[in-house]
Amino acid sequence: MVDPLLNRREFIATTAVAGAGLLLEACKSDSGKKPAATKSSLNTINFALVGYGEEGKVLLESLLNIEGVRLVALCDIWEYHRNEGARYLQKLGNEVRVYENYEDLLAKEKDLQAVVIATPDFCHAPMTNTCLKAGLHVYCEKSMSNTIDGARSMVHAMRETGKLLQIGHQRRSNPRYLFTLNRLLHEAQFCGRITAAQAQWNRAVKEDFGWPKKYEMPAGMLAKYGYRDMHQFRNWRWFKGLGGGPLSDLGSHQIDIFNWWLGVTPKSVIASGGLDYYKNHDWPDNAMVIYEYPLAQGVARAFYQVQTTTSSGGGYFETFMGGDGTIKMSEDPSLCAIYREARATAVSWDDLAGKGYVRARAASAADAAKVDVRETAQLAEYEIPVFFNKPPHQPHLENFFNAIRGTAKLNCPGDEAFSSEYTIHKANEAVAAETRIAITAEEVKA
Amino acid sequence: MPDIHQFNHHAMATYFEVRITGQEQTYAAQAAQAALDLLDRLESQLSRFRPNSAIAQLGGLAPGEKICLNEPAFACLEIAKKMELATRNAFSITAAALQTQSCLPQWSLLHGESSIRCESGRLEFDLGAIGKGFALDRMAALLRNWDCPAFLLVAGGSSILAGDAPEDAAGWSCGLGDDDATQRISLSHASLSGSGLAVKGSHILDPHTGQPALQQNRTWALADTAAESDALSTACMVLSEPEIKEVLTQDQSWLIFIESDGAAQPMGSRALPLQA
Repeated sequence: MVDPLLNRREFIATTAVAGAGLLLEACKSDSGKKPAATKSSLNTINFALVGYGEEGKVLLESLLNIEGVRLVALCDIWEYHRNEGARYLQKLGNEVRVYENYEDLLAKEKDLQAVVIATPDFCHAPMTNTCLKAGLHVYCEKSMSNTIDGARSMVHAMRETGKLLQIGHQRRSNPRYLFTLNRLLHEAQFCGRITAAQAQWNRAVKEDFGWPKKYEMPAGMLAKYGYRDMHQFRNWRWFKGLGGGPLSDLGSHQIDIFNWWLGVTPKSVIASGGLDYYKNHDWPDNAMVIYEYPLAQGVARAFYQVQTTTSSGGGYFETFMGGDGTIKMSEDPSLCAIYREARATAVSWDDLAGKGYVRARAASAADAAKVDVRETAQLAEYEIPVFFNKPPHQPHLENFFNAIRGTAKLNCPGDEAFSSEYTIHKANEAVAAETRIAITAEEVKA
Repeated sequence: MPDIHQFNHHAMATYFEVRITGQEQTYAAQAAQAALDLLDRLESQLSRFRPNSAIAQLGGLAPGEKICLNEPAFACLEIAKKMELATRNAFSITAAALQTQSCLPQWSLLHGESSIRCESGRLEFDLGAIGKGFALDRMAALLRNWDCPAFLLVAGGSSILAGDAPEDAAGWSCGLGDDDATQRISLSHASLSGSGLAVKGSHILDPHTGQPALQQNRTWALADTAAESDALSTACMVLSEPEIKEVLTQDQSWLIFIESDGAAQPMGSRALPLQA
């Protein structure tokens, strides 16, 4: 059974929440029969995957679970990745045509409805704009672009063509996030007046990506596609002109959550960061950022930190703190938590549990006839009662394809994503400028 | 002795090591990182503790229902099925199900559509005794693709997979037993896995009874792949010596050691590796 508390948007975003039957419906095979039709249609949407790097691999695992869509072409400039992807798909009985260049792909693939783009950030705007203008719907990974102008051009192309542009902030389709935002934060006012937020993504020191020597791309090819050398190609996230550094790569997800959950964009940002550890990168390897959000009840400050030299502090999460309670969210369900202040008596845990908004963590009362006397018991603990067991990106991709069919509204359209994109770029600016930067409500709009 | 570059990582609730020789440090580090990244991806796809892994989803299948699997999960289950058949279910990835069900659940792989179908019972899979080996095999393929053929991969100390031997050595020196074991073999192009009661107690369940396996104190299995050696050493913990001999008739590339009188006694027709 679908949790009756999930509204239509939450349900469409997930199609697999709190119930094995529904999960199986979403993930079951198609009885071994490939769709008879070869023409792209609303029943079978033909799409191409452009970029089969680290993120492309993650997306593919979700894409292969989605019914009613067919991957027909794969594009990557690097032969190693291209062949790896084709071989992998072949093992699964999914033959695709492969391309080095996305423009060749567009020229030859005449039966596409959509493209999923998972390339380095600096490629996003030209690829997205070209695909939209070719009449295709586009799912583009975050960040939108390595420049604000690039991101803005994507929104303009989306509006001009009338095609769909979904940006890959996949938490916006995560049923746990949707449920908690709609039910606990908005409806139950669980946090009361929000006064602060905190988020982080800390990662341990990691070797830069390498490459098998025999698959090194020729210098001419690297230059043709905008890279100085193989190291830069493999580690584009950390280079200016290609990516946006950790604040963009990791922080963009969570700073987007600030904007989404607080319902406004910040009025200012201050930040500090530096290139203090890695000596062969461009972007800072650490940053600490404070935004001021002008909420209706007063200012809330949101602190964000990203470290690429330590996994300390509990990984990656977003916390919203208010006078009545705190909600800690993460894509990792084990990190999610809810806390209630002692003063928050207007709505009790029992009320919230009765409505199905929270659930008491399982207690070990196997035998009601017995009781054990020991140290003072801790208060009952509660948790968010929504679990889903799809790969994290799958609901967001499903939302994209459902929007193409006209059965859903995009959860993260390009224009909405632009506001977060702008906010993130301003954090990088604040790090460089070492000063407070004001942000107006107007400038965050594309 | 040539330089051996060693890299450590935590995954699958244990530690992994990648040792590479014959390469300069930076290249070895990058290759090892790529292998460990692959390990993390495999864990997310194979672990029953990850709610969105394919394996974790199988418990919800009712008899007659099927579900598509990703490529690594399907490939790992293919090997698991082969080893269940080869060992007459002395190895079973569903052994723990006997703690909650009266008999082992039954399942089939549907080739051509990369699916698994539940035939009976509730599929409670634990790939612990084969998943680590499977991961080592995939990591080894990656390292060979990086032209790093001289490697030793270690999963939790209970499974190792050796590539080419280090320069000027007959193989990687592997002890059968506790730290600095005196009984050592030189290993290359093979995998060695060990199972036993000494470290974790009676943690291996006999899939035929659901009770702790007590036939052997310690077993080791040598095979070409780590997935097979992992499964074999586990199976041998619940098999008697005659049963082990019967299993070994099916594959000449398998070699078993069982602990007897404090020493590891070999069984099988595969040539014994050189002593290290």
